[in-house]
Amino acid sequence: MRRFILRRLAAVPLLLLGIVTIAFCISRLIPADPLASIVGVRQMNNPTIVDAARQKWGLNGSIFEQYWAFLQNLVKGDLGVSFRTRQPVTHDLLDRLPATLELAVGALVVGGVGGVALGAYAASKKDKLADHLSRGFSLLGSSLPVFWIGLVFLFVLYARLGWFPGPGRLPPRTEPPGHVTGFYTIDALIDGNFTLFRQCLWRLVLPCFVLGWAYMGQLSRLVRAAMLDEINSDYVRTARAKGLAERLVMRRHVLRNAWLPTLTILGFSFAQLLTASVLTETIFQWNGIGSYAVQAANTLDFPGINGVSLFAGLAFLLANLATDVLYAVADPKIRLA
Amino acid sequence: MHRHTGVRNWTRVAALGMVVTVMAASCGSDDKTTSVSAAPGGSQAPSGTTGGSAAPGAEGRELVIDRDMDLTTLDLSLTYCDTCQIFNTAVYETLITVDPADPNTLLPRLATSWEANTDNTVFTFKLDPAAKFDDGSAVESKDVKFSWERLANMKGSASYLMAGLESIDTPDAGTVVATFSAANSAFLPIVAASYLGIMNSDVATEQGATSAADAATTDKAGDWFLSNSAGSGPYKLESYTQGDKLVLARNDNYWGPKKPVFPKVTVVQVKDSSSQLQQLQSGDADIAMQISVDSVGQLEGNADVTTKIVDSYNFVYIALSPGAAGGEMLQDVNVRKAIKEAVDYDGAIEALVAGKGKKQASPIPNGFVGSADLPLPEYNLDDAKKLLSDAGLADGFDLDATYPDANVYGVDFNLMMQKIQQDLAKVNINVKLTPVQFPDWATRIGDTGIPLTAVYFAPDHTDTGQYIQYFGLIPNSFWAASAGGGSAGTPMDNPKESELLATALASSGDAKAKAYTDAGQQMIDDQIVIPIVNTQLVLASRTDITGMHYSACCNLDLSLLGLAG
Repeated sequence: MRRFILRRLAAVPLLLLGIVTIAFCISRLIPADPLASIVGVRQMNNPTIVDAARQKWGLNGSIFEQYWAFLQNLVKGDLGVSFRTRQPVTHDLLDRLPATLELAVGALVVGGVGGVALGAYAASKKDKLADHLSRGFSLLGSSLPVFWIGLVFLFVLYARLGWFPGPGRLPPRTEPPGHVTGFYTIDALIDGNFTLFRQCLWRLVLPCFVLGWAYMGQLSRLVRAAMLDEINSDYVRTARAKGLAERLVMRRHVLRNAWLPTLTILGFSFAQLLTASVLTETIFQWNGIGSYAVQAANTLDFPGINGVSLFAGLAFLLANLATDVLYAVADPKIRLA
Repeated sequence: MHRHTGVRNWTRVAALGMVVTVMAASCGSDDKTTSVSAAPGGSQAPSGTTGGSAAPGAEGRELVIDRDMDLTTLDLSLTYCDTCQIFNTAVYETLITVDPADPNTLLPRLATSWEANTDNTVFTFKLDPAAKFDDGSAVESKDVKFSWERLANMKGSASYLMAGLESIDTPDAGTVVATFSAANSAFLPIVAASYLGIMNSDVATEQGATSAADAATTDKAGDWFLSNSAGSGPYKLESYTQGDKLVLARNDNYWGPKKPVFPKVTVVQVKDSSSQLQQLQSGDADIAMQISVDSVGQLEGNADVTTKIVDSYNFVYIALSPGAAGGEMLQDVNVRKAIKEAVDYDGAIEALVAGKGKKQASPIPNGFVGSADLPLPEYNLDDAKKLLSDAGLADGFDLDATYPDANVYGVDFNLMMQKIQQDLAKVNINVKLTPVQFPDWATRIGDTGIPLTAVYFAPDHTDTGQYIQYFGLIPNSFWAASAGGGSAGTPMDNPKESELLATALASSGDAKAKAYTDAGQQMIDDQIVIPIVNTQLVLASRTDITGMHYSACCNLDLSLLGLAG
């Protein structure tokens, strides 16, 4: 196992290099000049301003020179300075990571717990009304666009009914808690400010549900199918024939085996949630990496685009590794080495 | 019978987990009852330091403004955006400001008086001896010299405002003399532009700022300005989180006669109009700055919200580039005139901004000097057809229209270009629409050019000269270059406009106005830039907010806002 993990980890830098190289090439080869975003269109024919900006932002060299400078800085852990925020990209990403993680973890909890519960419930009520309703609910979550659900929920549940708070991580006119982890919920607890903790948690509900619903839909269908497969398998019938208690049959055999396909989607989904929060973050004014990615793309912020690509690649690579390891832990038949 | 017992039990455990999660979340109460300061419009007492914020105090409450912010820096010398105008005006004061009710009236701010020599090359300002920075130190001529020279030498986007500056002299601490190499009567309105605000040179220098000629590469204060300010305005920077919010705190040492009302002003990043509307209605925001004109109806009957639609100096336009690849037929001015006459302006204004906009004669927006006596564009389909027929193009032609995929000043560019496409189809011009992202658009227009495009414009200052410099067919003009000119003697060079601009910059009063009016007519006759609508703005705020306005120089001057009662 250790050799497997080390081998996979050793491949990570190479894979990341490939990812950032592709991202770098795509961003540089598209026929658009980021200077328009940096100096403004009105100044694009002002050579003094344009030349100064090209020099300042390292856009005066050839693509190869720019790539070489990018790699040299990357080795030192420097992703460059964002054209848009004028801050180091590493700082920008680390600053926004807690917001995105908070959202992704919340969505994973909503999607994971909800998906498993819904799938198991549907399996237990196979072909009954509850099964159809559960599957319909799952289908809706998987099919409805996130931006549409988000806007409708905000309009109905916040603007019209006032049942939920509006967008943003904090209530208006409220200062964030002291920065320790960057997770507002945790930092509020560290501050001993339970009111703020509850407010932050409450504000997570709508965006986490919107983001987690699609995942919930996928997972519930997977769990339902896996549960039904296991319930009807021969070894379950044998276990019952041997007189094993039904509770033990379900816990030791059905659930454990039904978990395996679920594990596959679990790790991958977390990486997906981290990187697919683009629309959710935009709609819910969540200042995380998703909204950063949108702004970077819209303004051709090359360093920002490369930084987000690196982050997304890393998230997927680590999630895949974690999934493989969990798979091996859950199923001893699998030999990783 | 008990075949599914285990499943049911397990389901219960999972369901319980979900319930616990939801319960934990639901134990949070509605934000509106627990926020740290009084609810908008209410008189709720502050609840101490809940949430870690300072108590707002009985004298006022925190003002929350929703806005899609376009900030990239808070370094005064590098700022150049609409939100920058609000920030700069609140934090850094200019020597002169503009009357929000009339863009052509200049009012004193840091300077008590000013004068220009007869040929408009030397400008002398006398500073108000009472003016103080937020640290209590006096605003002196050395600060003005430092700020203006730094603006020029940092070579940021607004540095063009200092073009032609020869020297800044400071004969004493209260006098500033700016000398230009050529007549520049636009300089006084330019001084009122927020980018020419004054910073405390001692503080800035301590933080690595420099105004030297090589400031663009040697200045080290950019990071410091992201979390600090050094101005004399009614507010000072408290914090800035990119993509989230900009927080200003009241300058308790403010020297001016009108003390700032709000202990804190927070500008929250809210991208779209509907979200701003919802937050204004719910009381989460006090002011929503970018509510679309057609959604104002949703606020009717809401006693907690006040809306007012006012004229602005912003406009959207289409532009023709005869020099662009595929735009050769546009080299005939009558073809360009035919396109202009084929546009149904009233229909476009109705479709794009629900009729809440005005036609505009030339690139000089309504309200600016030189705009008053110019003829408004008219829809004349018959004449457009005749012009095309006379040009041998009765059967029409294809025209590429690449434009930014944007929604600016409440105008959806896709909708606008579809309207133009429909109108031009009536004269057999087949317009091919290609919406692209803004940087892509800017690159294309700088490379091969775009025969027909759509753009927008908001003033940087209140002198009309900027419109001739940008839209006129004169050397170094953006649109002259795009049209295929950009330098003297080219087919797309209109020397009359250069002469009229020079005349205007060397004169004042009626002579200046006449030169600008004539230049406006010349730009109409160029048929290069065709304004579609001079947009109006929605000023939307909670009812107890007073002083809402739109200013040509400063967008929204926070010092003019207050609380009713």
